Amino acid sequence: MSTTIFAPAERPGFAESSFIARVREAMQDTATVTWRDMVRTARQPEMLTFAVVMGVFFLLLFNYVFGGAIGAGTGVDYITFLVPGVLVITALQGAQQTSLGLAADLAEGVADRFRSLPMNQGAVIAGRTVADAARNLAGLILLAMVAMVMGFRFGSLVGGIAAIGLTLAVGFAFSWLGAAIAAKVRNQEMVGMLSMFWLFPLMLASSAFAPPESMPGWLQGFATHQPISVAADAVRSLTSGDPAGGDVLYALAWVVGMLVVFIPLSSRLYRNPG
Amino acid sequence: MRTVVIEADHLRKSYGDTIAVNDLSFTVTAGEVVGLLGPNGAGKTSTINMLTTLLPIDGGSARVGGCDVATRPRAVRSQIGLAGQTAAADEMLTARENLKLFGRLYKIPKSELLALVDEIIERFRMSDYADRPVSTLSGGQRRRLDIVAALVSNPPALFLDEPTTGLDPRTRNELWETIEDLAAGGTAVVLTTQYLEEADRLADHIVMIDGGRVVARGTPRQLKAQLKRDVLEVHLVSGSDLEGALALIGDMPEVAADRATNELHVPIGDGAGTSLQILRRLDDAGIKIADFQLRRPTLDDVFLTLTGPAAAKGGSE
Repeated sequence: MSTTIFAPAERPGFAESSFIARVREAMQDTATVTWRDMVRTARQPEMLTFAVVMGVFFLLLFNYVFGGAIGAGTGVDYITFLVPGVLVITALQGAQQTSLGLAADLAEGVADRFRSLPMNQGAVIAGRTVADAARNLAGLILLAMVAMVMGFRFGSLVGGIAAIGLTLAVGFAFSWLGAAIAAKVRNQEMVGMLSMFWLFPLMLASSAFAPPESMPGWLQGFATHQPISVAADAVRSLTSGDPAGGDVLYALAWVVGMLVVFIPLSSRLYRNPG
Repeated sequence: MRTVVIEADHLRKSYGDTIAVNDLSFTVTAGEVVGLLGPNGAGKTSTINMLTTLLPIDGGSARVGGCDVATRPRAVRSQIGLAGQTAAADEMLTARENLKLFGRLYKIPKSELLALVDEIIERFRMSDYADRPVSTLSGGQRRRLDIVAALVSNPPALFLDEPTTGLDPRTRNELWETIEDLAAGGTAVVLTTQYLEEADRLADHIVMIDGGRVVARGTPRQLKAQLKRDVLEVHLVSGSDLEGALALIGDMPEVAADRATNELHVPIGDGAGTSLQILRRLDDAGIKIADFQLRRPTLDDVFLTLTGPAAAKGGSE
């Protein structure tokens, strides 16, 4: 029986340590929580399946049902227009999962345990967003394969990789938005209901399925510049094989802006929901 | 001389106008078990949560391992293990994975962690279900995992909030043994409970609180002795004799009659002599006695005397 009681100063993780040590701890804890959330994802594969099935559903519905009507306005083969939009929408729905998952965590006793541990508290959220990004990556690759079966082609391999990468970054940024909502509300039903209010406008009043030029003037401004549209346009330019740097930079600016706002905000709300 | 591990110094906590903890002080030395005893809402959980950095302290101060809880929460967290009232293990992970998760967050080196987790599972007899997801475990198995998860880092201070609530007697006994082992190994333990039997068995010291205030403290033996009385319980055959019997022994203080069970409860100072005298009086008057016993005070008597509405009114019925 090893019942050595460490003297306080020798205990691991005791030091109120230097900045570098704190950053290292934050990364280590984030990796640990990421591992935990990925194991959870692997144990409920229906979450991943659901994301892919939704994506496939959008592809089928828009390409074969509405595609004939919408396609004329896009100036290209509709599937070429549609796939980048659906990829971005799928990433957005991954962010909703972040919100729901974190709310469930906070409702369980395990959150109290985390709060009593000598760990970086932000890692609880960071780990979840990273694990959700990993799940998103798997979902996006599966979806891209389905799209290719339906006749979609990436302009180049590098462009394809960059497109998936940018989509992931957008999903990651929205995960932090979802985390902030969950940290504030802490109730799964409420979080589910609230996500309707940000998810649907962003998803539908966007360039994901149809070009904003066809929308009424009052909506066009929002529908052109909101992050999902900007991301869909940027991914489109990357998959076209003829990338326009401006679109991609605009999308990255949204990503960085959202992270700058929502990382500190969600961490603060997590520590102090009031 | 044992070192003091946990110190609560005039702790205070209020929620709006409600004062949950009012001027509560106690210390726990290495290897000691202190039982916080009190009815629901007495402030037990608030106290635990303040000492474990989960709840801000409104007044007074607290130290764990010499580190102030309010100003050095991080240092305190590295020295405590907490098993709260709600189950705090990840439902989707196995018991073993949970222990690994918490061990990694406690920064136990990877090279030692696997062996340590194996040893813990062995030592706390969890091998049978260590590799099943927590969601499939029984209440007792989960509770044990909860407590054991608080021990991964072998903390010098352990906080157990109602550790055995809802467990069957066998599991409860096993957990008691676990807690005794830990204290024997030098861990300072704070335990809240509503079971007086549990406090009697485990606690070296008891702090009895009600309405956030200390109403009594001492060893279980001291608390019982402080009550200074045995109780003679006399069970009468017929309820109609109850009034007559009360009249006969009306000179005894604080006699209580239970009309539902035909029982008389007579507190006695000197045990056998007075008891015999009372029984003789009843017998001489022709009152039929079905059964009697002389009961030593239990912690329940202390608890009921010192807490709750009767104590608040400042008198007993």
